[in-house]
Amino acid sequence: MTITHPSTDILILGSGASGAAVAWRLSKSGFNVVCLEQGRWIKPEEFPNEHADWEIQARTNWAFDPNVRALDVDYPLNVDESPIDPLMFNAVGGSTIHWTAHTPRFHPSDFRVKTLDGVADDWPLSYDELEPYYDAYDALMGCSGINGDPANPRRKERPMPPIPIGQDGERMARAFDRLGWHWWPSDSYVNSVPYRGRQACNNCGNTGLGCSRGAKGQTDVAIWPEAIANGVELRTESRVFRVETDAEGKATGASYYDADGEENFQPANAVVLAMNGIGSPRIMLNSTSGAYPNGLCNSSGLLGKNLMFHPYAMVSGLFDDGLQTYKGPLANMILCQEFYETNPSKDFVRGYTYQLARSSGPISTACGYMFGRVPWGADHHAEFKRRFGDVTVLGVIGEDLPEEHNRIELDPKLTDSNGIPSPKVFYTLSDNSRRQLDDAVENAETALREAGAAHVLATRLLKAAGWHLMGTARMGDDPTTSVVDRWGQTHDADNIFVVDGSVFVTCAAVNPTPTIGALALRTADYIDRERADLKS
Amino acid sequence: MNLTDGEFLLLASVMDIIVPPVDELPGAGEMGLAKEAEELAARIPAYGEALHRILEALSLEPSVRVEGGFPALDEEQRMSAIEFLEANMPKYFDKFVDLIYIVYYSDERVHERIGWRSGPLQPLGWELPAWDPAILDKVSKREPFWRKV
Ligand SMILES: Cc1cc2nc3c(=O)[nH]c(=O)nc-3n(C[C@H](O)[C@H](O)[C@H](O)COP(=O)(O)OP(=O)(O)OC[C@H]3O[C@@H](n4cnc5c(N)ncnc54)[C@H](O)[C@@H]3O)c2cc1C
Ligand code: SF4
Repeated sequence: MTITHPSTDILILGSGASGAAVAWRLSKSGFNVVCLEQGRWIKPEEFPNEHADWEIQARTNWAFDPNVRALDVDYPLNVDESPIDPLMFNAVGGSTIHWTAHTPRFHPSDFRVKTLDGVADDWPLSYDELEPYYDAYDALMGCSGINGDPANPRRKERPMPPIPIGQDGERMARAFDRLGWHWWPSDSYVNSVPYRGRQACNNCGNTGLGCSRGAKGQTDVAIWPEAIANGVELRTESRVFRVETDAEGKATGASYYDADGEENFQPANAVVLAMNGIGSPRIMLNSTSGAYPNGLCNSSGLLGKNLMFHPYAMVSGLFDDGLQTYKGPLANMILCQEFYETNPSKDFVRGYTYQLARSSGPISTACGYMFGRVPWGADHHAEFKRRFGDVTVLGVIGEDLPEEHNRIELDPKLTDSNGIPSPKVFYTLSDNSRRQLDDAVENAETALREAGAAHVLATRLLKAAGWHLMGTARMGDDPTTSVVDRWGQTHDADNIFVVDGSVFVTCAAVNPTPTIGALALRTADYIDRERADLKS
Repeated sequence: MNLTDGEFLLLASVMDIIVPPVDELPGAGEMGLAKEAEELAARIPAYGEALHRILEALSLEPSVRVEGGFPALDEEQRMSAIEFLEANMPKYFDKFVDLIYIVYYSDERVHERIGWRSGPLQPLGWELPAWDPAILDKVSKREPFWRKV
């Protein structure tokens, strides 16, 4: 028998980067808010960096890839048709538990790629419109960084000074200077000083596996405590399988399984989907009804389509000066945006960012995450010695353009532990992206050699790199070519909103989460300002 | 996964070749790490399968079907038996090598030799030199070059 709960004003699905932001913003405006999250709270002492076997956990129960972790809370993904594996984490805080919190913003031009370069589409909003929300999300999550970057517009001072870039960052910065290329200390949601009750980072290096000090902007520590104190109910171990609608197609709430596998129904005046760029379209595609035979709010036919990933190349330099490059946050040093914009002399449009990353502990070194596997046998020890603590990585984040054939569908067979259909991912790397990555690899080699790397190794397309999930319920003014409007409200139902990376029109060449957070705050602001009708 | 005595010896002997002795440390097998490998393989199915497949293939490989089996071969013969597996079962072999590296580089004796601080990363963390804005001298003089819209 279905357990039915008392109705709420706003029902948020997912507690990660976007869901938490909406919950926090609306918690201060008189709405009743409930959030359903399939995962549970993770206690600080559970994070791998509190355990001696953290490197083993990184490859097993804490792996980035849900198909490797294969925990009950994870849903499996069919990736047979994709050269890139989607990565995500399912717990209170969502993928911000795992993220490395490298937080550049979109450039103004990223919102106008059709006008400027004749490709994809323009966004229905501009950088200037989003800027106050970027600032608000930076303040909420805690951004460390510094003004003056010539590659980006000047902006409000970050709440914290930059985190140290380390000798390894400095070595690359000097090389970029010599080449006359841009670089700048990375903006990061990593505390350079104590911030809003959370400690400063102590450079342990394991940023990608959850921070037990609370020094990284994870929504479980940076947002949820305040949202809950303001009255939001965060209901964990609640796995949504359908958004329910009435005959007119308006949301009436969501159905979910609780920890005992019992079916529950949470009625609501409005539903906000925040389960990420794969999780939200998955549940929307599963929410068919008389009003929505092809999936929730899918009159455009675009739900699940235009999936973008940021195909990622990794160029690793092997140095020989023993800088111990495992010291410091994993991927928060400096970035280079010399090649960010379209260059007409190149054979591709749009551009890329280099995000610098460090190496890691002995197991990662031996098994070869950053610089290929160390050979076994007679040469093993000498090769290990050469690589351990001596690798710096230039990660290439290239702008992926939206293509309808890149998509997710519901897999006809695969399900999660509750029997909810899993997504199947279809993705092919476009020629434009391939050429972009090739160019980036070549330039990265130049930079690493300039910095003194004795050897350079390029992974031209990293498989385990689907950490940015975007585009599957795109935003636009035209209901025939987009799923949600400029406020994140679906064109088909005025009480259903999408706030995660699904709404991206294009994906720029930077990590997406500050933009996801800013858009989520903007949608929440709109609900607060314009939708008093959703209050009981 | 429970290994038979024979499999256990075989594993230890292969481990000595994958990660041979260095300085004062014996090879990974002689260090007694086959037990850890067996335990990890029992816990993680992907490693369990790789270990099982590799040991099975090694005991069936014609070149090792001699009295005393793999451990009784001379070094060159052992190397070529392993290289044969590497070439013909790359997927399982890679996981198998990962398994050995994981247990080897989890060992405190190894940490001491390579200069790695054993134990959890927290609460100690690491020291980095403080942020010094002087590093921005050159790049901050560049004119803004972001594309206006
Ligand atoms: C390893 C890694 C590194 C990353 N590094 C960076 C970085 O440096 N910079 C950056 O900008 N971005 C980074 N990202 C991406 C960043 O984490 C995401 O962009 C961001 O978390 C997305 O926010 P979201 O709210 O859309 O989804 P998520 O944060 O993924 O949250 C979705 C939530 O929904 C829940 N959920 C899903 N389905 C259901 C369901 N059926 N019922 C109930 N709950 C459900 C999930 O459990 C999860 O908690 C990284 C990601 C990973 C995996
Ligand atoms: S490097 Fe800093 S932010 Fe990252 S996990 Fe360690 S203490 Fe936390």
